[in-house]
Amino acid sequence: MGGHPGGPGIVAVRGAHATMSGEVDVCVVGSGPAGLAAAAAARRAGAGRVVVVDRETSPGGILPQCIHDGFGLEEFGEAFTGPEYAERAAGDAACVGVEFWQGTTALALGPGPELVLVGGSGRQVLRPRTVVVATGCRERTRGNILLPGTRPAGVFTAGTAQRLINVMGVLPGRRAVVMGSGDVGLIVARRLHLEGCEVEGVYEILTRPGGLVRNVVQCLHDHGIPLHLGHTVVEVHGDRRLEGVTVAAVDADGRVRQGTRRRVPCDTLITSLGLIPELEILRGLTDGTVDESMRTGLERVFLCGNAAFVHDTVDCVTACGRLAGRAAARHAAGLRWPRRVARVEAGEGVRQVVPGALSELAEAARFHLRLDVEGFDVEVQARARDRPLARWRLRAVSPTQAVALTAGPARLERLRQDRTLAFVARPGKEEAGGRIHRR
Amino acid sequence: MIIGAGVVGCAIARELSRYQAKVCVLERESDLGCGQTGANNGVVHPGIDPPPGTLKARLNVAGNAAFPRLCRELGVPFRRTGLLAVVTDPEEAMLLPLSKLRAEANGVKAEVVEGEDLRRLEPALGPGAYGALWAPDAGITCPFRLTQALARTAARNGVVFELETEVAGMLVGRGRVRGVRTTRGDYLARWVVNCAGVDADLVAGMAGPPEFTIHPRKGEIVVFDRGGPAVGRVLGVLSLKGDPHSKGGGINPAVDGNLLVGPGAREVADRRDTAVSADGIRKVLDKFTRLVPALARATPIAAFAGLRAATYREDFIVRPSAHMDNLLHVAGIQSPGLAASPAIAAMALGQLADMGFSAPSRPDAVVAPPPRLFRELDPAEQTQAAAADPGHRRVVCRCETVTESDVVAALRDPVPATTLEAVKRRTRAGMGRCQGAFCGPRVATLIARERGIPLWEVTRAGPGSWLYAGPTRR
Repeated sequence: MGGHPGGPGIVAVRGAHATMSGEVDVCVVGSGPAGLAAAAAARRAGAGRVVVVDRETSPGGILPQCIHDGFGLEEFGEAFTGPEYAERAAGDAACVGVEFWQGTTALALGPGPELVLVGGSGRQVLRPRTVVVATGCRERTRGNILLPGTRPAGVFTAGTAQRLINVMGVLPGRRAVVMGSGDVGLIVARRLHLEGCEVEGVYEILTRPGGLVRNVVQCLHDHGIPLHLGHTVVEVHGDRRLEGVTVAAVDADGRVRQGTRRRVPCDTLITSLGLIPELEILRGLTDGTVDESMRTGLERVFLCGNAAFVHDTVDCVTACGRLAGRAAARHAAGLRWPRRVARVEAGEGVRQVVPGALSELAEAARFHLRLDVEGFDVEVQARARDRPLARWRLRAVSPTQAVALTAGPARLERLRQDRTLAFVARPGKEEAGGRIHRR
Repeated sequence: MIIGAGVVGCAIARELSRYQAKVCVLERESDLGCGQTGANNGVVHPGIDPPPGTLKARLNVAGNAAFPRLCRELGVPFRRTGLLAVVTDPEEAMLLPLSKLRAEANGVKAEVVEGEDLRRLEPALGPGAYGALWAPDAGITCPFRLTQALARTAARNGVVFELETEVAGMLVGRGRVRGVRTTRGDYLARWVVNCAGVDADLVAGMAGPPEFTIHPRKGEIVVFDRGGPAVGRVLGVLSLKGDPHSKGGGINPAVDGNLLVGPGAREVADRRDTAVSADGIRKVLDKFTRLVPALARATPIAAFAGLRAATYREDFIVRPSAHMDNLLHVAGIQSPGLAASPAIAAMALGQLADMGFSAPSRPDAVVAPPPRLFRELDPAEQTQAAAADPGHRRVVCRCETVTESDVVAALRDPVPATTLEAVKRRTRAGMGRCQGAFCGPRVATLIARERGIPLWEVTRAGPGSWLYAGPTRR
């Protein structure tokens, strides 16, 4: 660890938290980049006691296992590794007086809000003025997609493999196949390769890579790892340890093309099948819909970071956490919980839009979208039934990259004219290959 | 000497442990209940399906009746949910009174329900459900916890469990089995009970000419995440078009809140073939999504397959060997074997007595329920447990709220868990929605620590199933 004055080394000492009790203004669940940013922002916005609870013994969430660099270009103007970024963010939070309760698991959340915590000195019920849920994501597994075959040892999600190699110093296997080409899958393919595990290939069911172009180049091409687009793993073999997988070419609907099945011997399968926001703590209370300040449907509970929207970069996650933290501080100080005045939906050409609601307090908003449209010169509209309320023009978009749209006071005034508005996207110019992706 | 540590072998071991006898259980796998028991959906069937007059019918009904007390005694979850065998085609409605007659011939309470009554019993049923046979005595349990509790109790009373010990042959002479030859040496025995599940015919064949054959019949089960459709009853389908050899699977809640769908049924040649097939999954999901349409929006978290040990006559075999005076076969135990297991064990003991086995009862016999898991405690008990034990403050598996102390208890059990799968069966760590992506390496670390071995010697489910290749370069 470097020499930042408030780095996790010091934080860990404070994490002994002999006093896991008392009045808390803002309790943040999760010490990943979103939680750390929320906590620091809440303190800066005037919140009294701000506490971060996290099940791990040191802060950072998933960052400490991401030892590659490229983190923080927007936030700090330089490229950090994951652990460096975590150290920066945790140090910043500690400097402004955030308390860290590491090794503490939030078991349940209830109205009030109240949190059931276990860790440190035992199990206890905490009643903070506001709660910020920053629980990140879990990975989609082979079980979620019901991948057929046997169930041997040697099948790992990309994140698990990354943790094994980078944090625990353990090599998962000697010959691997990677299923899915999301960023974590690509980065893990390179790590495996560098650790002497042969990577037979990366198989991506779509006809385009799931991860960023720079990762395809730096992680695969630079190391001679083949990428098979339009291919996927269709069966797992092996009784005790994985002995191989069957791969096949698939058509646009995911059906296997006849005669393309091929058995690949390997002892390790890495699945990189996408991220699922971890919202279990909200289950039965409210869904994952938030408004422009990351308020959930449950009074004085916020949701931010990748648990609210799977962002492309840690910088976006940090910004999202900051937004929630600032608002949490205001509500902890007594600001009335607002009504929702408009619902925001994904329409034609838009897969997802966050926030999914606007509150009566909304003055400006930043919308995060995933589009089903690609190409150049794409128009996105926010529509009320058949009437466009606002338009944005985007130079170049693709389904694998998130889009952020800003609505200032003037635009937002127009958007709030209707109870329901839908974002729609029109395909870009034909000559640039623009089209709608139907899934 | 009992061959096989599934729920039936363990139930017999537990019954025998009430007596002053030296009892040993041999198991090929690294843990209890790795065969049919481990691939069971936990339904304690009421006994409406087996043909009247069969051993299956008699033991199913008697076993079901014994369940509430047994589970209370052993600290195992059990809930009477009742079962609805649903007819989806009005043309097959005549199956309802016929099935009711069969149920009554077996001595099982059953009634025909239709319309409003049916919806009230199970609101999750789709519009296709026409009518159903309602059997209130059906229930659900956890097959792993039950098997573990039986084995634990047996072990505390002196029964020895030899895991990773595969039977390779029988030592025979003068019409009696003298002992059992295994991959870990020979064991001498005065009485041998064959509970070898899908391999019971092979074990029988080691002692003499073939007495019966087992036909492995595969079925896939899909596990759905908690928070999906609220199904409160065990649901099955009554149809003329179904497979005559299977009740045809169904949808059932598990005691831990997940929803299980399946199994289907098809004959396979290979006794080790527990691979899940795309076709098998599609069939069960197609079939049962018609019953509960909300299933289409539910999130699957896992799929597994098991092999039923079917015999030619489709009935249970609980009888002495035709060739060996001291060998008892407990074979062909497929569904509803779990429900029948208490009655099977009682019958096996009766048979052994008839064969000449006798021993004084053990006055100090104890019942040893598995330690309660943190997640099973109520809030006040959790507070107490966490205050007293730092290991209960460290949550290892977030999805299922399993603590470090839960895992350590399983690793130090009288029949200890030694693998990742064994810990999962006993504590549920890794059974949740992330399927061990988070807790897997953490549990492996605890196993390595407790057993004093490097992390890369920890296995998923015994020899050959290594988890990690070794340390990284740095």
